[in-house]
Amino acid sequence: MRINSAAVQNWIVPVLVLVAWEVFGRAGMLPRYLSAPSMILLALWELASTGELWPALAASLYRVSAGFVLGTVAGVIVGLGAGLIPGVRHFFDPLVSFLYAIPKVAFLPIFLLMFGLGHASKISIIAFSCFFPVFIASRHAVLSVNKLLVWAAQNMGTPRQTIFFRVVVPAAAPQLFSGVRIGLAHAFVVLFAAELIGSRVGLGNLITHAEEWVRFDLMFAGIVCFAVLGFASDRILLAIRARVLKGQTIGTEEQGMR
Amino acid sequence: MTAQAWNQARDFIARWYSIPLLLLLWQLAVGSGLVESRLLPGPGRVLTALVTDVGNGTLVYHASVTLYRALIGFLLAALIGIPFAVAMARSGLVRNLFEPIFFFGYPVPKIALFPVFTYIFGIGTPSKIAFTFLECLYPIVVTCYFGFRAVETRLIWSAQNYGASRATILRRVILPAAMPSIFSGLRIALPVALIVVVITEMIGDSVGLGYYITIWSTRFTFANVYAAIIVIGICGLVLDQALLLFRRRAVYWQREAA
Repeated sequence: MRINSAAVQNWIVPVLVLVAWEVFGRAGMLPRYLSAPSMILLALWELASTGELWPALAASLYRVSAGFVLGTVAGVIVGLGAGLIPGVRHFFDPLVSFLYAIPKVAFLPIFLLMFGLGHASKISIIAFSCFFPVFIASRHAVLSVNKLLVWAAQNMGTPRQTIFFRVVVPAAAPQLFSGVRIGLAHAFVVLFAAELIGSRVGLGNLITHAEEWVRFDLMFAGIVCFAVLGFASDRILLAIRARVLKGQTIGTEEQGMR
Repeated sequence: MTAQAWNQARDFIARWYSIPLLLLLWQLAVGSGLVESRLLPGPGRVLTALVTDVGNGTLVYHASVTLYRALIGFLLAALIGIPFAVAMARSGLVRNLFEPIFFFGYPVPKIALFPVFTYIFGIGTPSKIAFTFLECLYPIVVTCYFGFRAVETRLIWSAQNYGASRATILRRVILPAAMPSIFSGLRIALPVALIVVVITEMIGDSVGLGYYITIWSTRFTFANVYAAIIVIGICGLVLDQALLLFRRRAVYWQREAA
């Protein structure tokens, strides 16, 4: 393998950073809060083998998936409705254009007080923040469906239902997925903030506890788990998207984002 | 009243009726004691809190701190991110070295790293700015990179044919051609900056709108929490409109898509 081949160059920076981090960390030249990568791996093993990791991971996973699914389903249904029915659109447009500019996390204290410190408050705030990007994407997607396609279907005497499922939804799907992807990213940000600010279990709590015990290796292990969870969810979404939109993503920006 | 004015008035009501309607329902629900007024103070009390704290300068002060942090982080990300995206688009070596970091790092929820930032930069303004920088850097670099990549080679070739220097091509061909993408990257990053600053202020600080929300929610004075949420919404709208204004001047040959 030649040094200037792309595959080699791709690895240079990450490997250099990790090696430097490890070497300087071992030599005690880094501040104590930057645990060496090998220590983080050991801490991960410790968390997994003592079983401390699993309840935290399960709680975070449950919250983020329930909130994401609820918010996305609501966003798609209301967004498609707003795209198709002017009455629905006129009702939601002013509300969304005002609420969209506000970070939904700002409502967190209100959700915490209404639903308590358990799962319900996290699920509802995650659903609330996922709703907006998904709503906006589905609304725009339906409105930008090429009218010619709909007219062509109507001309051939297609019933309204069939037009909706076979013409409007497939044509809107690519844009809809970009909204869902933004919603997923929001879900993890809100999950982390909620678990740091008011929660008793979850990966966010694991990280805070590790800080309190001055176990920086455990803190990084929690961070790594959280990052992997977010990354893996995005990859799963992209895989679903690739299946649903077979052939529709060729030549678009997202295709490059493999 | 002419028929035209009547139609305009009806259109206006049809477009905006939902906000006053919900305000009315809110007032009715609070007035009838249907919801606990401590959790959901009536619109009147929220307005009073808003006017009082804007009048005595408290909210203005906290908003200025939040805006300062968000804007500095955002501007740093733009100043460093855009040239970096050019370098990635124009040089194969830079691209191969840094592409994995941006494309694999993009879907990772970076918020999990915030605890580490507080150790490196302290809890005050520097850690917020540094973290905002990181969060804004990703959408700016990735979007601009695609924009620079998508510049038609035809245009660059014809400029080369006329004997234009590399610097001239960059300034007069590549930059203008990629300008719309640069602005869409900035427009994704700007609300992210505001969200991230508010979240990190909620997690731990003694100034800023995020802190204001946290402190008033622990005092169970939710009228002030809602007042701060309204201020955040206004900040978001103003920032977005300011960016659109810049866009209209810089990309005068193309109207923005809604």
